[in-house]
Amino acid sequence: NNSSQLSSLPLQILLYINGIYYIFYFLATLAMIIYKSQVFSYPDDLLAPDLAVLFLMAILEVPRSYLGFKGNLTEAEGPLGLSLGLTVGSVVLSVYLLLWQAYVLWADVLLNALLLSAYGLESGLKVTAIAAFVS
Amino acid sequence: PADIRDAAQAPVRSAPAPVTDVARLCVCDLLVAQCDVNCCCDPDCSAEDFSLFTTCSVPVVRGDSQLCSQKAAVYSLDVEANPPERIFQLIDQVNPSIFCIHATNYKEALYLKSPEIPTPENFDQLLDQFGGAAFSAEPESWNLDTDDQNPPDANETSRYEFGVPVQTEDAFLRLPSPVVSSWCSDANPAGFLVNQATKCIRSVSVEKCDSIQALSMLFYINSSILAAVFQVDITVQSIIVQSLDGMRTLLSSGDVLRLPMVLDEVCINAVLGVNYHITHTDTGEIIEAAAAFVLGAISKETLSIEQSFEISFTQENTQPVPLSGNPGYVVGLPVRAGFQPQGYPFPAAFLSNKHSQLTILHSTSTQDCLAAQGARAPVLFGYNMISGCKLRITAAMKCQPLAQTLLDVLKGQSFPEYVASFGNSQAQDVLDWVPITQLHISEQLVSHTLQSSCQIPVSLGIEVKWTKYGSLVNPQARIVNVTATITSTTLKQLPSGRERIIPITSSVVFTDISSPAEPSYKAWPTIDIKLPFDFFYPFV
Repeated sequence: NNSSQLSSLPLQILLYINGIYYIFYFLATLAMIIYKSQVFSYPDDLLAPDLAVLFLMAILEVPRSYLGFKGNLTEAEGPLGLSLGLTVGSVVLSVYLLLWQAYVLWADVLLNALLLSAYGLESGLKVTAIAAFVS
Repeated sequence: PADIRDAAQAPVRSAPAPVTDVARLCVCDLLVAQCDVNCCCDPDCSAEDFSLFTTCSVPVVRGDSQLCSQKAAVYSLDVEANPPERIFQLIDQVNPSIFCIHATNYKEALYLKSPEIPTPENFDQLLDQFGGAAFSAEPESWNLDTDDQNPPDANETSRYEFGVPVQTEDAFLRLPSPVVSSWCSDANPAGFLVNQATKCIRSVSVEKCDSIQALSMLFYINSSILAAVFQVDITVQSIIVQSLDGMRTLLSSGDVLRLPMVLDEVCINAVLGVNYHITHTDTGEIIEAAAAFVLGAISKETLSIEQSFEISFTQENTQPVPLSGNPGYVVGLPVRAGFQPQGYPFPAAFLSNKHSQLTILHSTSTQDCLAAQGARAPVLFGYNMISGCKLRITAAMKCQPLAQTLLDVLKGQSFPEYVASFGNSQAQDVLDWVPITQLHISEQLVSHTLQSSCQIPVSLGIEVKWTKYGSLVNPQARIVNVTATITSTTLKQLPSGRERIIPITSSVVFTDISSPAEPSYKAWPTIDIKLPFDFFYPFV
């Protein structure tokens, strides 16, 4: 890293890629839930929690991504820390969709595993960036 | 889900758990403790039984194939080995699709739901839900509540379309019919141009005879039908009164309203049948409605009576003639027949009405030919029929009257001369009618009895030859030839005091004589080019 610049380039790239991947993930998971509700027997009281988790994760993603970008670019550890906290929430919701959905398809497993590994890598880079900003 | 919660609250009883182990499931194992033939998964079969099988009727047993990886039990017969033996393999079947189910957290996803076991707690709720004749609530469209319905304006009710319920002042024109069981339901509306005939059972009692609405004539003619700008009242066309022993008489003063009343512990004037006749114009407006009633008597012991209802629609200024097909005959409809009135050979129209149908003798329960005179059944196209009766001959019977009586019994009062070749043949198209050929065959028992011996007809066989006519895709049935064969036999004179029983039969046979169809193709279009005659004008 250049001594005058503390912002982490890999983190920025990863944040950007994660944003795009999340859009694809959201649309694919929504499409698969619709497919499952037509093909399998999906009673309403099981469909509602699954859809709620998916939309909650989408709502969380927007501030999480924005705070990540802002924190990295302004080299401030506050927003970055907040983004890290929101990432933990997103990870929990993704684990729910991976393990406790009514029907977990093989495609669900792939998408969620990819998302979780992306979040993990991102969290690691955020921690490194916070350490760099604080010190 | 609600049933899981209920099952959790229910104390002890639950249905036996379903078997899901593929190694133990066997669909073809139907006989208990015995080996089923060709059932390779049957645990009751021994190795010797397997050596006698030819194939495995159930080759593989597996769960839902949508799962990503599941166990499957594969059964096969190794016919190469001596003796043949059964091979059982438990394999893991993998679904390669990316949308295969990896896991489910919904227990009942892939299995049928076990029904709820009734307990004292949920019994009332289960009874409400499943205790009736039908499991769903009544559809609201047949709601007869007058408060909800806003009166339809004249434009809507002036024109009826096929199948639309005929509207009256308060609701719909009712045609009681059996809905789920045989009991009458008054909520069945009559549809416009839908000719219906229904029979249903109503529970009655003599004490409440004048209070049961459905037994009184008023119930059926009370409300007037909404049509065009005015309302059409239902008039009483005729009343037939049926006595307790079944005798029916037509009342001369047929338009007087008769209400049920109790007389000597018998309820009279109870409605046993209603026949509605609705006349309409060709644009769908109802102009007339009439009802013909059959009133009967209910005795004290009767708990239920059968009511029959019928409705028929006629266009004004027309005389409906029921067709038996359009144009080819439809299987099951009566064969139309008629006479040619006097004036032959001038082309004249045929007389064809209900009385000159082609009919055959109808077997009765007494089977006595002489008592059964008059019972005829119409000949339905395509249905071969045979019927008969027994004739008891005593020594006192004279030959000629007996032969004539038997001929009447076999042929009926008015045996037609012509049969319509198409189901919709019009009476004025003379060429569309096929003459009935009459043959007489007499069985001569011994050749020397040629002198005046008694010949009595014993059987009538009608053979109808029909062919397929028209296009290959939609062939129409057309009657080509009708032959009525009367077989007579000699009647030997009986010694006095003896009697003989002779069977008399009549039969109808339909034979298809259509030649095999040859598809024909359109001719290729020809190109006809000719130069105009003045083409080479200045030079020719």
